Amino acid sequence: MEGADDLSLQALTLARSLGEARPVRIEGPYAPSAWAAALVGAAGADDIVGPGSDRGNEVLAHVAAQLDLPFAANVTDVAGEEVTRIRWGGTLLEEARIHAERRLLTAAPFAFEATAGPVQAQALVPNLGDAATVVEHLAPETGGGISLSAAKVVVSGGRGVGSAEGFAILEELAGLLDAAVGCSRVVTSAGWRPHADQVGQTGTKVSPDLYIACGISGATQHIAGCKGAKKLLAINDDPEATIFGHADYAVIGNLHEVVPAITAELRKARGA
Amino acid sequence: MRAAKPVERFDDLPLRVRNEALIVLGQRKLFQRLLPGAVHASIFWGFLVLFPTIVMALVSCVDRSWTIPWLGAQGWFMALVDAFVLAVLAGVLAAAWIRKVVRPKRFDGSHLGEANAILALIALVVLTLVGWHASRIAAGLNEWPAHASFLSDWVAQVIPAPRVLERIFVWAHVITILSFLAYLPYSKHLHIATAAFNVFFARTRGRGRLEPLRFDVPDEELRFGVGTVGDLTWKEMVDTFSCTECGRCQDVCPAYATGKILSPKLLIMGLRDQLLAEGPTLLAGGDLSPVVGNGVPEEMVWDCVTCGACVHECPVSIEHVDHIVDLRRNLVMLESRFPQEAESMLRDVERIGNPWGKPQGDRAAWAEGLGVRVVEEGEPAPEILYWVGCAAAYDERARKAAESTVKLLQKAGVDFAILGARESCTGDPARRMGNEYVFQSYAEQNVATLNDSGVTKIVASCPHCLNSLGNEYPDFGGRYEVMHHTELLAELVRDGRLQPKAGDTEITYHDSCYLARHNDVREDPRELVAAVGKPVEMARNRERTFCCGAGGAHMWMEERGSAINEERVREAAETGAETLAVACPFCTVMLDDGVRSSGRQLRVVDVSTLLAESLDA
Repeated sequence: MEGADDLSLQALTLARSLGEARPVRIEGPYAPSAWAAALVGAAGADDIVGPGSDRGNEVLAHVAAQLDLPFAANVTDVAGEEVTRIRWGGTLLEEARIHAERRLLTAAPFAFEATAGPVQAQALVPNLGDAATVVEHLAPETGGGISLSAAKVVVSGGRGVGSAEGFAILEELAGLLDAAVGCSRVVTSAGWRPHADQVGQTGTKVSPDLYIACGISGATQHIAGCKGAKKLLAINDDPEATIFGHADYAVIGNLHEVVPAITAELRKARGA
Repeated sequence: MRAAKPVERFDDLPLRVRNEALIVLGQRKLFQRLLPGAVHASIFWGFLVLFPTIVMALVSCVDRSWTIPWLGAQGWFMALVDAFVLAVLAGVLAAAWIRKVVRPKRFDGSHLGEANAILALIALVVLTLVGWHASRIAAGLNEWPAHASFLSDWVAQVIPAPRVLERIFVWAHVITILSFLAYLPYSKHLHIATAAFNVFFARTRGRGRLEPLRFDVPDEELRFGVGTVGDLTWKEMVDTFSCTECGRCQDVCPAYATGKILSPKLLIMGLRDQLLAEGPTLLAGGDLSPVVGNGVPEEMVWDCVTCGACVHECPVSIEHVDHIVDLRRNLVMLESRFPQEAESMLRDVERIGNPWGKPQGDRAAWAEGLGVRVVEEGEPAPEILYWVGCAAAYDERARKAAESTVKLLQKAGVDFAILGARESCTGDPARRMGNEYVFQSYAEQNVATLNDSGVTKIVASCPHCLNSLGNEYPDFGGRYEVMHHTELLAELVRDGRLQPKAGDTEITYHDSCYLARHNDVREDPRELVAAVGKPVEMARNRERTFCCGAGGAHMWMEERGSAINEERVREAAETGAETLAVACPFCTVMLDDGVRSSGRQLRVVDVSTLLAESLDA
């Protein structure tokens, strides 16, 4: 277990439903193969249950490899050797049978109530000497301004912006909204913006509260990058543009008129 | 070779013999380029004819009076010899002219000095042969009627007659031949020993099929593509030794043509150089260095669109795409190393079943209101299963082709249905990226679905799906009759079940690599184009088409250098056509993007949509 975080406490609930559970906590830097070896070494248990986090799934996969046993990730329900697990990015619930005496499981996030109250977990210290990988340092994302992937609002421009200079009006609007500026692939191909600003299949995936798409036609490759947005506002002068099929709000008009108008209205509303 | 990995290439013997006759003896692939083909053929056929004279000369060194019984005394044979001596000389001169004067770009990066030495040696071989025959005539030693060998006889008139001259020439001739043979293993000219084998052992089945990796074998036989030269199959090794650096592959490579660092020729040369350098270590069982980063730069591996133009062009049947995919397999499966932007595609294919991460439940959304039957579990199979593919199911531009196809099939009264949410990615993009594991799990899953439903005949909208379903799924127990929608539609038009109206729009048809080159579908889409408009051809067409830039999973990667799709759009626009017809969803998207970014006026549209419009008109 990674510590008394919520996902681990949910996993503990699952473990307790299977029998007498012995919570353990692994200490030290993250090293999946060594953590798994520590869990295997601490054995005595019939089943091993972990949290359905990226790390939990990775460590249990290593445990499975080391014990040569099957592993079921992201389970939502367990009855004997029958498990129900989440597959295909959450679009499918699969009922599967585990063909082994020992069950290796991770609990799907938020499928179980977290165990309440203080939990006494035994500390395990893995031997990092034979670890294939040790995470020594996590570098936070850097870069000026607001990062695309974390921004609450993204103002994004496509071919319709017309030039690198054309982005000035988008920058201005973004400044007022504390937004990040993004763009489509056409824009980076044309050299108007750096690739780091590209939203889409082969760029950054964003999930802001509001995504403002200016002069973007809405190719599948672009939508793949902004489908996580809660609300999508599309500004385009082509009423046939595909982007409108994905938009919550649509403005059919030239972005070079619409965007400055929004900026002006915002300024007026804020009394600046 | 002793240390090479196995690969099955002993099947289909009659076909292999036929290929050998056509490609080696018939020089068919060389003649894909007329002048260089004629140059090579004159030298190659020349030496086939001259071979008996080499035997004669070798023995004659020690026994002056020996010749091959009967043949050595035939006037017609000696006439033929002289004729082919002239052919070889003409060939050498033309080759020298091409190399020294024309200097085509395909030789960029080849060993030019070696080629010069070899051409000089070839010339010397035939010149000393003529000298030997002439001096034999002059000394009265000829077993054959002197006038028959017109060239040697003429030379005999102008050289002195001492018998010692005959000895000098025969030794000069033999020493030249032996020097040539001694030089051979150290030069790219080794192809005269290896090419015939390489052609014989080339793939015989579906060109678009990749050799599956076996995961069910004991650990020591497990192979995850190619990491070091020790992972090469013996065919891959012979490939590298067969390359003569002629550069035809480089000339047709879309990546090279648009300024990427990939040249199929340099890839094979890099592999060969590393194999030769590490050969002794390999045989001794020592530690080998990785191929990627040493013999082959990493970027080169990812530049490839797997269009197969190089494989089609190569006169000695080198299979470049197999090398590329094997290198990718090792990078992806063992090191998880691939262009970062492709990560979400690989993850979405693996977890969600399509490359864009769209919900599986929306897969049949495009067909809503069109009255298309969805085969649910346990329901009887239709006569034809329409395999929609992820692109047509989820991409707005590609979707139009599926809508048109469905309307046409309904109009013609074809009994068809789709799998709806039970269809998933065929695994093609993952496989071309090197993730064989994900591909195989999809192959097994889809084969199970199709077999359970009793499907026998499939029509695919996407040439990439078509290739996997038809050429690759048989390896996983799925055997179906698979055709492309343009094939079926052409059949329906021929049978009179669809009657399009002729139009006068000029249409140029772009061949998809996976359709025209990998699966031999070239004329059916053209028939449809001709039925609805006026066809005009681009320079690069049919099996020698030029990729749109999306193959080999490049649909989901960033492109370095100038864009392949814009190059193809430029070519299409030069035909003057108003319409650019396509038959592949990826070509649709790529070429439409190319038209937009180059600001041209060209309508990119699937052949099925053109046909549907013609019926509605």
